[in-house]
Amino acid sequence: MSEQMSERRAQLDHPLIAVPSHDELAEQLFVRDLKLYVMTRIEPVQARIAAAEQKASAGANNTAAALRERMGQHESFSTWLSLKRESQRQLWSSVAASVERQAGDLEDLAAIEAPLGSVRTDPDFAVPDYIRRGDIHLMPGGNAHDDGSILQGAMMDRGGAVYMLGRNGGMLNDLRGQTAMAHVLTRFPDLNPARILDMGCGIGTSTVPAATCFPGAEVHGIDVGASMLRYAHARAEHLGAGVHFSQQSAEKTDFEDGSFDLVFSCVMFHETSQAATMAIIAESRRLLRPGGVAVHLEVPLLHDNSDAWVELSGELEAQYNNEPNWRGALSADYRSLFEAAGFTSVETGYQATSPAARSGPFRYGPESEGVFRSWFVASGVA
Amino acid sequence: MTRKSLPRTPNRLDAIDGSRPMDEQLLAMIVGLTSEVTVLRARLDAAERLLAVSGTLPAGAVDAFEPDAEAAAQREGLRKATLDKVFRPLREAAEAELAAMNAPAEETLP
Repeated sequence: MSEQMSERRAQLDHPLIAVPSHDELAEQLFVRDLKLYVMTRIEPVQARIAAAEQKASAGANNTAAALRERMGQHESFSTWLSLKRESQRQLWSSVAASVERQAGDLEDLAAIEAPLGSVRTDPDFAVPDYIRRGDIHLMPGGNAHDDGSILQGAMMDRGGAVYMLGRNGGMLNDLRGQTAMAHVLTRFPDLNPARILDMGCGIGTSTVPAATCFPGAEVHGIDVGASMLRYAHARAEHLGAGVHFSQQSAEKTDFEDGSFDLVFSCVMFHETSQAATMAIIAESRRLLRPGGVAVHLEVPLLHDNSDAWVELSGELEAQYNNEPNWRGALSADYRSLFEAAGFTSVETGYQATSPAARSGPFRYGPESEGVFRSWFVASGVA
Repeated sequence: MTRKSLPRTPNRLDAIDGSRPMDEQLLAMIVGLTSEVTVLRARLDAAERLLAVSGTLPAGAVDAFEPDAEAAAQREGLRKATLDKVFRPLREAAEAELAAMNAPAEETLP
């Protein structure tokens, strides 16, 4: 498992990531610790207030909406939400300043002489509504922000590592991609994909693990933001991975029918919409050759909505951290969606988190092993 | 290429249940201040430790320090950055009110 975020600045996992100065690191560690404080010292108290509210109104209306109304009468409920959101805003603010300070150095590093892969942006790209309506994770400018540079990508990279508190593979932030590839090796050990597509690739944190796991494959990554993709390209090159990035919506790509052996995504559906999710699964099917495999990984929080507090917490996270399709993605019936799109051998379950796909663990089952210990994965054969 | 600043204000900040905008602005300022104090303290701690190790900081040297013109200008820049950071919510709120007055019927996404 990679190092957690620490004061040891030299321990970085790839050369392109924005390296904070002494003060910037102190500020980022402050944000990390503030987030942990909110999560471990304040949020559990809200959970206890919610439990007391539910107990007091036993037998009455116990939906998340009813609980939200009762929680709203407690002032600490508002201050908890406000502090949580402000911690997120401080995260981006501190990372943006650090990225801007070293913009020139990062741009020099991103100028790749003889790239293994490529990047193709589209000035006429139509940004989907679910991206435009609110900046995901409150990242100012949003995933599609483009000023012609790589800086929004640099911001997402460093910000993502801090956001995950270092728990998702340290500065590489790559445990999800490793886990998706470990799923392929678990369920389809004989698949030797020649062409792989990562949908909603962001800055390529999951795309690079695909290229590393299948070094002979031609790997593609698509997403909605030109700045993110330029950065993803440079980042992949620095990590020795030849990936072809292009600015496209996963709902409708310009790749030919049956042109991939493996199509995958990591935590993308909850940033889209229900309609887009259906379109993306159908597009995955169209892009796969007969016998090709689709693997879509999501957050491991799928629940049956039986606990109003669990449901309300998710709803608040979605609303105040701008997760456009949280509820949709976590309550979707992926088996039905995959089968409706023409997939066979569809399975849904939880893949144990893998730090490096080829070293396993190759464990996939119906029960979640917990947040960060396993990820929800739906897969099927075209 | 002319480099632009990265944006700082995210699109879409829904109202928080039971919270007045001023409550949030005050809270944000306190978090900003706490961040600044934390960073300062870490830097001062690093400096003091390094100086103690090298033996270069005689007792009373900080209290006797007089910045020259260049140092004074740099210290003024630091103070301005702090003010910008801490009072950002008030400026944003004022700008939002001004924008609402100037464009009352501006189209927003559903």
